[in-house]
Amino acid sequence: MAGEQDLLDAVVMADERFHREGYREGYEEGSSLGMIEGRQHGTLHGAKVGSEIGCYRGFALAWRGLLHGRATERDSKKMKVLEALIGMIQKFPYDDPTYDRLHEDLDRIRGKFKQFCSLLNVQPDFKISTEGSGLSF
Amino acid sequence: MSWVQAVSLVQGAEEEGDVFDEEADESLLVQREWRSHMQRRVKEGYRDGIDAGKAVTLQQGFNQGYKEGAEVIINYGQLRGTLSALLSWCHLHDNSSALISKINNLLDAVGQCEEYVLRHLKSITSQPHVVDLLDSIQDMDLCHVAPAEEKIDEAKDERFCENNAEFNKNCSKNLSLVDCSSLECCRAQEHAHPENPSLTWILEQTASLVKQLGVSVDILQHLKQL
Repeated sequence: MAGEQDLLDAVVMADERFHREGYREGYEEGSSLGMIEGRQHGTLHGAKVGSEIGCYRGFALAWRGLLHGRATERDSKKMKVLEALIGMIQKFPYDDPTYDRLHEDLDRIRGKFKQFCSLLNVQPDFKISTEGSGLSF
Repeated sequence: MSWVQAVSLVQGAEEEGDVFDEEADESLLVQREWRSHMQRRVKEGYRDGIDAGKAVTLQQGFNQGYKEGAEVIINYGQLRGTLSALLSWCHLHDNSSALISKINNLLDAVGQCEEYVLRHLKSITSQPHVVDLLDSIQDMDLCHVAPAEEKIDEAKDERFCENNAEFNKNCSKNLSLVDCSSLECCRAQEHAHPENPSLTWILEQTASLVKQLGVSVDILQHLKQL
């Protein structure tokens, strides 16, 4: 009967409407919750990478200054490796979490850094305060 | 008022006056069932909505936070790397242990600064929302709030961005902790935070150290942006 059908429609509509209203509010809440949560995680991870790369960069650039103008053959080999390291670091998009070669490039930089350190015969003690890869030689 | 809030209010009221009445009208029973069913639907919808909303912005938030974290902290990393270079230089040239321990102290100081800044970066992201305040205002039943609602919603986003921009501006231009602690948007609960060495002081000490080592201050060029 038409009356029953109308009633049924009204019930279904009301049912959907209540769900929809709750959904709308939840969505808004969830959006900002997700933003906050995402940012907290992102900040930690970004800082970890920034800290490590910054360390290598500061170390490399300072050593470039310290080795400046040295003419011996051993020093020129050091300079070559150093310049390669600096090049890698400058090219690395440290603030982009979506970079598809993030881990490979980071590993290559770490390797080059270790190579440079062994050429120098030094063992840097990088007290990396953010949780994660501590450097130890 | 929000539908979700209405649900909890009604439920609260019902639980209080829940007396078993043998003469209860059947229609009253049906009404109650209806109401509780609809309340359930609102709650389900709310949960589904939260999940959906979160899924959309989680990655977005992550990318934003990542960029901010990296950009702010990289400068501290550079300072640490520079000091480490000086330290290794000292070790190679058998320099006095006094200088070496000085460098180690500076390294510790930078580490502290870095931790401090990172903590503040994290606290920034958990600010109260204007939306929450708006609900409280609405509950107070002040009728002139209604037309202002739309403006406040826009202002919410603006203010969030503004605060972040302000923080970024302050942090990237001048990482001195003296400035960081005066940022209103930080709202740090750690008012009684122990004395932190200022970045400016550390930089000055580093420069004087370089001179003591008989090296040109030019090697600190890359730290100028600090």
